[in-house]
Amino acid sequence: MRIGFPRALVFFYFYPLWKTFFNELGIEVVLSNQSSVSLLHQGVRSAIPEICVPIKMFTGHVWNLLEQDVDYIFIPRLMNVEKDASFCPKFLGLPEMIRYTIPEVEGRILCPDIQASNEKMDRVSDYKSFRDILGVDMKMIRKALRKASEVWDRFREFCYKGYTVTEASALALGELTESQVDICQDCDIKIGLLGYVYNIYDPLIGMDIVQKMRKRGVYVKTFEMVHDRIIEKKIQSVKKPLFWTFTNKLWGAADHFYQDHDIDGLIHVTAFGCGPDSLLGKIIELDSDEFCKPLMTIRVDEHTGESHLETRIEAFIDMIRRKKNKERGVGA
Amino acid sequence: MKVTFPYMGTIAVYKKVFEMLGHEVIVPPRPSQRTIDLGVKHSPEFVCFPFKVIIGSYIEAVELGADTVITSGGNGPCRAGYYGEIHRRILKSIGYDADVIIFDSMFKDFKDFYRKIIKIKASTSIASALNILKINYHMICKMDELEKRTKILRAYEKIPGEVSRVWKQINESFDKSYTEVEIKRVAKECSEMLESVSQRLFTDQDRIRIGIVGEIYVTMEPSINMDVEERLGNMGIEVENSQYISNWVQHNARPKWAGKSYAQKLMDKGAAFIAKGLGGHEQENIGCMVDYAERGFDGIIHLMPFGCLPELVTQSTIPLISKKYDIPILTLSIDEQTGRSNSLTRMEAFVDLVKNRKKRKQYSNTLLMSDSKTTPISMKTS
Repeated sequence: MRIGFPRALVFFYFYPLWKTFFNELGIEVVLSNQSSVSLLHQGVRSAIPEICVPIKMFTGHVWNLLEQDVDYIFIPRLMNVEKDASFCPKFLGLPEMIRYTIPEVEGRILCPDIQASNEKMDRVSDYKSFRDILGVDMKMIRKALRKASEVWDRFREFCYKGYTVTEASALALGELTESQVDICQDCDIKIGLLGYVYNIYDPLIGMDIVQKMRKRGVYVKTFEMVHDRIIEKKIQSVKKPLFWTFTNKLWGAADHFYQDHDIDGLIHVTAFGCGPDSLLGKIIELDSDEFCKPLMTIRVDEHTGESHLETRIEAFIDMIRRKKNKERGVGA
Repeated sequence: MKVTFPYMGTIAVYKKVFEMLGHEVIVPPRPSQRTIDLGVKHSPEFVCFPFKVIIGSYIEAVELGADTVITSGGNGPCRAGYYGEIHRRILKSIGYDADVIIFDSMFKDFKDFYRKIIKIKASTSIASALNILKINYHMICKMDELEKRTKILRAYEKIPGEVSRVWKQINESFDKSYTEVEIKRVAKECSEMLESVSQRLFTDQDRIRIGIVGEIYVTMEPSINMDVEERLGNMGIEVENSQYISNWVQHNARPKWAGKSYAQKLMDKGAAFIAKGLGGHEQENIGCMVDYAERGFDGIIHLMPFGCLPELVTQSTIPLISKKYDIPILTLSIDEQTGRSNSLTRMEAFVDLVKNRKKRKQYSNTLLMSDSKTTPISMKTS
């Protein structure tokens, strides 16, 4: 049995968990190709024109998997991974959207409804449908979930150490060793990079922004490097948090970055037309004035040019470096 | 307290509730270009259009002297449930000192809910406050009923603009009635007023019916949806809208023992296409489209604000619904960038398509009924 993972959306974050889970069930995991222009175009052609670029990219990845020899494509309906928040409505309707925009996918979707209370998604009853489709029993599922949650803990530990999601998942799955990765810890500038994993880590949408910043001597900190406890504490202190899990995480992280004196500035990467970010963006914009810390918003979509991104982060970094040097009395 | 509220649809009822509770009510002006400009200036760029219009009308109301904004909250995951929180911060950040009171579900934080109720009901006793709500519920039901009729009647009015004029009068007379008896009387009078509108003759075959579905704000508020309904009516088309305040109240305040609300029945139909609710009106809208198709409507117009999260999912089901039920559906997404003429041209083209389709259908029906070999020729010569 081979199951295809579209290399898009929250895949970047949950890959170590899901891969271990399926491997433990004795199922081979097949990844779609790396994001490419042709793949994106395929997605753009079938997705609704108005929708955000990550969904278009996801659609492209599903097409790519249809061309490969897989039995099922894994498109979970992510509803909750914590008690009081859910996902963006587009995630809740994702299986349907894919089914209606790519009719060829009918009967080949593996779509459990995830309604878990934590990120390990260890609510066994969510996977009941696997019994008939994959021919596994609940005992095996329980065992696989346990194993997956071990890997997940390892993965999160690496994240907290400052590794990006892609690095941490390779480390957690034993594909890399720590000495092979340089996270630029000693850089003079530290920037908080806010954005969903599918915008930051997709090589086409985010255009490798983390590496671009590191190359310019910046230590990059993202939301997954901030401890869950810190984020939860912030969110609990808000009277009415936002409705979306990852948006709340970004909010918590942004708040942490604003209060952390080591962080020199914030960059918010958001997709054109992103609903949750439209509200979060305003909140952190208002906060930015309060905390007197620079914030830059970069909006990406299928038309974004790489040089645009480079110019803007370069200018932002230069500005921060100059400000810092001035404060230190070095002179620009 | 000088109270104001979001401007949406038939506003007579919100005005009356607060008035009867003894507050001074500042009715925000009907959304205009200025409202939209103000809203766009102070809102995040990619927030949905209703957010921008509503903040614009809050600003206009505060300029007129309002000091308290009363609105509803929500539990998501649709953005609309969070409007109030951000509106409050925006109003503060641009220096308007208005209190924003947001009603969230009472099951989440009853104490908070109760405190707000006490604040708003002011010196009115609970019994009379409940009575006020009852009277207003009664009124909105009557008004919605009449409004539904105007949307059909407008297609056949002899004097252009007469129905709209009568509807304006209806609003005014309801505005002046404060008791249940009066409301009953006014409703009867208004009903007679509508009956006396002179109509042109039409046969059942000429009737073209278009249903409107979509996000609640853009479907209910004519000032920001380019008066879609009135324009269609002027083209001689019967219109039915899926969203009414009375429906919303019935759906949200109906006790379980009273059976399923109409909206719930529609949602069950929609659930065949979208298994889980997304926090907006997506299941209801899909159910409604199916319902329109089953009731033999000739076309459907789907309205949404640009980038609306739940309606984007609805939109993805439209090709399937259109094919399965053999009904043309047009989606228009609306925001401050919408070119009026562009949308109107598209609407006109859609109406032409719907009309031609109906004619062709009738033509092929007559073919089926008569002798198939000879009729085409005789039809041609006629």
